[in-house]
Amino acid sequence: MRAMYIALLIFIEIGLSLSARAQESVSDQDQMKKQQQAIDEQQKMINELKTEVDQLVEAQKKVLPSEFNPSIGFVGETIFSYRSRGSSETGSDRPGGYDIFVRSMELNIAGSVDPFAKGYAVINATADTATGESSLEVEEGAIQTTSLPWNLEVKAGRFFGEFGRLGYIHDHELPFVNRPLVLDQYIGGESRTDGVQVNWLVPAEQYISLTLGVGDQFGGDNPPNYVGDFRNGTELNYWGRLSTYFDVTPDISFEPGISGLWNPSTVAQWDPAVQDLPTVADDTYTERERRLVGADMVLSWKPLRNNQFQTLTWGTEVLYSDNRYDVTDPSGNPLPSRWVGSYGLYSYLTYKWHRQWSNGVLYEWLEDIVNKEAKTSAYSAYITWALSHWNQLRLQYTYTDPNAASGLRPDSAVYMQWAWIIGSHAHGWQQR
Amino acid sequence: MKPLLKLLSVIALMAGLSGWSAPAHAAKIRVVTTLTDMADFTREIGGNLVEVHSLATGVEDTHGVPMKPSFVPIMNRADLLLSEGFEMEHAFLPALLEASKNPRIQRDRSGYVDCSQGIVPLDVPKTTERYAGDVHPYGNPHYMLDPVLAKTAIENIYKALVAFAPQYQAEFTRNRDAYLAKLNDKIAEWEKEAKPLKGVKFIAYHEEWNYFAARFGMNFFGTVELRPGIDPTPRHIEELIAGMKAGQVSIVVREPQFPEKVPSRIAEQTGATMITLPIMPGGVPQTETYIKMMDYIVHTMVTTVKARK
Repeated sequence: MRAMYIALLIFIEIGLSLSARAQESVSDQDQMKKQQQAIDEQQKMINELKTEVDQLVEAQKKVLPSEFNPSIGFVGETIFSYRSRGSSETGSDRPGGYDIFVRSMELNIAGSVDPFAKGYAVINATADTATGESSLEVEEGAIQTTSLPWNLEVKAGRFFGEFGRLGYIHDHELPFVNRPLVLDQYIGGESRTDGVQVNWLVPAEQYISLTLGVGDQFGGDNPPNYVGDFRNGTELNYWGRLSTYFDVTPDISFEPGISGLWNPSTVAQWDPAVQDLPTVADDTYTERERRLVGADMVLSWKPLRNNQFQTLTWGTEVLYSDNRYDVTDPSGNPLPSRWVGSYGLYSYLTYKWHRQWSNGVLYEWLEDIVNKEAKTSAYSAYITWALSHWNQLRLQYTYTDPNAASGLRPDSAVYMQWAWIIGSHAHGWQQR
Repeated sequence: MKPLLKLLSVIALMAGLSGWSAPAHAAKIRVVTTLTDMADFTREIGGNLVEVHSLATGVEDTHGVPMKPSFVPIMNRADLLLSEGFEMEHAFLPALLEASKNPRIQRDRSGYVDCSQGIVPLDVPKTTERYAGDVHPYGNPHYMLDPVLAKTAIENIYKALVAFAPQYQAEFTRNRDAYLAKLNDKIAEWEKEAKPLKGVKFIAYHEEWNYFAARFGMNFFGTVELRPGIDPTPRHIEELIAGMKAGQVSIVVREPQFPEKVPSRIAEQTGATMITLPIMPGGVPQTETYIKMMDYIVHTMVTTVKARK
């Protein structure tokens, strides 16, 4: 009996043990099933991710026709104005009274040519002052090196030669509405030239920049030298600029420069069949040699902490033009040639008190380039509202006061300028 | 001709007196950084082997560092140029690079170092059309305010220094490891200290705090700016105030390069607390290094939250 009880106990124990093992086995199987499910779910997620990544990679492989396009931007600028006198009394190439002038419709293109150079072009359509019709003009189109040794940079093609401070700035980037009178008359508007220019950053701890250039034509409003049969070196324009920079304090900077331009023989440029030659006391002046020097400076206060919201800038440029003219009397008889030396300047002060708002004043004075007895002063006040970096409105009042010798009359003008940009827009060195 | 020759002679003499700077492998490695955080990291890794110059001093708007011609000779002599990346410096660096006439540091040359390599950006815009403001086409560039992501930039700087001067790899490695150890300890400390910041909502003037918010569990509610680089309109300010009240936004962050008036008014009208925080070392006093800057930011945020409770 005892043996039976022991056997029964052993049997029960074995049975319980087997049952427990069976239960463990079932529990292990459940766990393994769950783990397998989790693995399957993760594998599914991985497969889905892999598919998405493959799709993205394939999407990146597509060939886009625009892949090699350069950067493209467009600038539009319209000037709404009212002048109190007509153009016959002001000498302006725009009418007096009410005027709407689409001054700039500029397409800007820029891109790398190769590892050694970049290229850019500015194509502008401006309304012709006489007909009002717009024609496309390549205002700039140049190649510029990017990797020359000895701190050199070469630019060649059609570009704005580096002369003075505002001569090579586009109209819509000026700190005020209109190009100063002295730059219009002594340079010929923007300093556009077809030529080549070399810039050298002097290898010194002080920033010193030297630029030398040679080109056909200098000044967008000036005619190019007549092509003719044979051109010698005296019939080209030679110019140069030397500039430096000082940090007076971390917030105050001073940047002076001097510039010079010489065209030994402009004889081929002036064709009375094409241009109206200037007259003084009924004698006709035909330019034969052109010499121009200038000194410029910019004094700026730009507090580092607040420079997006508050700055004060004072800019001044003084030019001296000393040209030689062939003179003929009203009957066409030649008179002794004359040198005419004339001074002109502009000076402006712009205060920015908000990221969007700035205002300023501009003073201009010049002696006529041909008749230094004819003098003009101009006084302007302007306020600018930059809604954003690419959308800007400017209101300006200008009082122009020519003297009697100029043959012009004083007048008042109000301008509203609206300039906008779409597409690519690079912050160039000249716009600093 | 003679005056021109005289002028050129004077300039050549000046250049000689100033010393025509030998470019590479002079006494120290010349490193130029756009912003002060990279300058701090470079000094830590490079030690006495580097001469570092930052174009920014720390107080500027990171997008609006002025293009000073005095930077040009410094960049002209640089061996390495470190940029934050994601086109942070698009407003000033391209023109400065061109003016520097230093082929070694131009884009895609070995001397141009993009410290954002390997960082996956937040806020990659769906469009670069200007109605969205002055967007960064490759994503939000303000990743340095996340100290974990800053370690990627540190590694990129380290790799650049080693690639330029492999003979000093051992020292760079020692310095990097020592600094990372210190930074890792600080990260752990900040994460612990910043626990009260979890879920706290705040606004800032500009979209600079997204990475910081993600790291420390905060909720970046919006910006004073209407869009990046576009000042607020009266309607936007009204809507922001209304949204902040409804959302119980408690902090207004004003970065020191932005004016105080509008953020202060918003804080007053919503009952939020306005605090001024730097976005790079040197932005406010006592934040000359990256660690000090992050100490200041975390501590100021936490103190403000605790004070409000």
